[in-house]
Amino acid sequence: MTNINMNKKDTLLIVIIVFLVSLILAGFAESGVEESLRGFLMLQIHPARLINDFVEISGVGGAFLNASLVGFTGLILIRMAGIQLSGPTYAAILTMAGFGLFGKTPINILPIVFGVYLSARLVNKQFKDYLIIALFGTALGPLISTLAWELGLPLIPALLVALAGGVATGFFLPSIAFSMLHLHQGYNLYNMGLTCGFFGLFASALIKGLGHTYSTNMFWYSGSSIVLTAFVPVFSLLLIIAGIFSGGKHSFKDLKEILTIPGRLPSDFVDLGSLAGSLINSGLIGLFGSIYIYIIDAPFNGPVIGGLLTIMGFGAFGTHIKNSWPVVTGVIAATLVTGNPLNSPGPVLAAIFSTTLSPLAGEFGIFPGILAGFIHLHMVLQTGAWHGGMNLYNNGFAGGLTAALIVSVIQWYRTNKEEF
Amino acid sequence: MKRKDFVLQLIGEISSYILEEDPMRMVISLHQETDGLHLCIIDDNEHSDAEIEKMTKALNSRKRPELAGYYGAMTGQDLLGSSRLNLLGWQLKHADVTRTGSGIKIDLWLGGDGFDSQKFTIPEKE
Repeated sequence: MTNINMNKKDTLLIVIIVFLVSLILAGFAESGVEESLRGFLMLQIHPARLINDFVEISGVGGAFLNASLVGFTGLILIRMAGIQLSGPTYAAILTMAGFGLFGKTPINILPIVFGVYLSARLVNKQFKDYLIIALFGTALGPLISTLAWELGLPLIPALLVALAGGVATGFFLPSIAFSMLHLHQGYNLYNMGLTCGFFGLFASALIKGLGHTYSTNMFWYSGSSIVLTAFVPVFSLLLIIAGIFSGGKHSFKDLKEILTIPGRLPSDFVDLGSLAGSLINSGLIGLFGSIYIYIIDAPFNGPVIGGLLTIMGFGAFGTHIKNSWPVVTGVIAATLVTGNPLNSPGPVLAAIFSTTLSPLAGEFGIFPGILAGFIHLHMVLQTGAWHGGMNLYNNGFAGGLTAALIVSVIQWYRTNKEEF
Repeated sequence: MKRKDFVLQLIGEISSYILEEDPMRMVISLHQETDGLHLCIIDDNEHSDAEIEKMTKALNSRKRPELAGYYGAMTGQDLLGSSRLNLLGWQLKHADVTRTGSGIKIDLWLGGDGFDSQKFTIPEKE
């Protein structure tokens, strides 16, 4: 890290590889190699709809190994596309790995990626043009798992249906993603969450229409282990140290600059600020998030760690403490008003993932941010059922709808108010 | 994307940027060739050296196909928030921002893989 000739790309690559290898080592340390491998294999044929906490299903080792391999799949795709690592790709890898703890597997994401590739080729684009859509579009991995393992089909037909369904899903995602961007105009960071949620409505309705009834089993690990509790805080500290080493005396000045960016899509903090500032920001978000989880006495399980890793990833692509606290405050206020415990699954995930709406606070101020968070909680507690839990970025879906509502009102007011 | 739509998006974003400072005059000139185009925008507003430097940097930012191919769809389409020149920068071959007597002139050159710079007055790269 201290090599002054090391460029941004190399530093980021090392950070990502250290993170992904650490996941495997931490999992092996907790569960042992054999149990981890067995758990990993079990996850590949397990339903993955929300909320299936892989830590509860397969143990820490299997879940962490799965998360790491999902992250490595993302890294390999980025390298194959010839795209330089930066804010959005860093966010994508951490998000993919994070959701590898509760829904994504290397097997259920690849058909979607291939579908996005076909879509790109149809309109004479290269895969790299749609790379971000492919990486984040893996949020619909549980749809493929549903088709393969929940419909009760014989093995070969089940695999063929899942493969075809996954490719078709990926094929349609780019077209929807562009429309959804215009809907909220970049004020919902998880645009693929809105995209996948929208697609998921149709997929869920179709599957239900064909006679399938979704089981509503929820797996939510509520135990504790030192590996689960310490992983995110330790990784966060390492990011801060890496940021300070790579940026030297300018590190905190760069961080200060990042805190002035509203965060609207696409805000690559590595480009608009610096790599050092982005890494420190990412680490700070992980630390603050972990402290919040600790204070409300929520478990550090698969979904919670996955959520923390996701917002840390977006610490290089739109989220920072200054633009996210109003939204989180809104979620906490809504949770308290409705009488829900802060550490119950819905509110705890909403508090973490509500930072998808950070750009609203960054652009329009504290009050719209708090309001967005308040609305978001109520929405996200409903939207999961709409798509049968098949869209892992359920908060991105609810956040997109919330952003669209708020943006519509502000836009109407600004564009219709007489100026002349 | 059809060329007409693409040009409209570019003009939308760059003119949105210029109009934010409420100029008394804005001129847009377009010169098209088979594989590329030259867009020139002139205004009559005062601009600081720092702003011109920032514009030049944003418009000549490194190519980001993964962002241009996806988020580039927002170019010139947004009605809220400030305009963002980096959305343009990812898609340009070259850009220049120069002072005129009363304001600035922004030259944007765009083109596909077959772009022939000889047909345009694009400056030689040093």
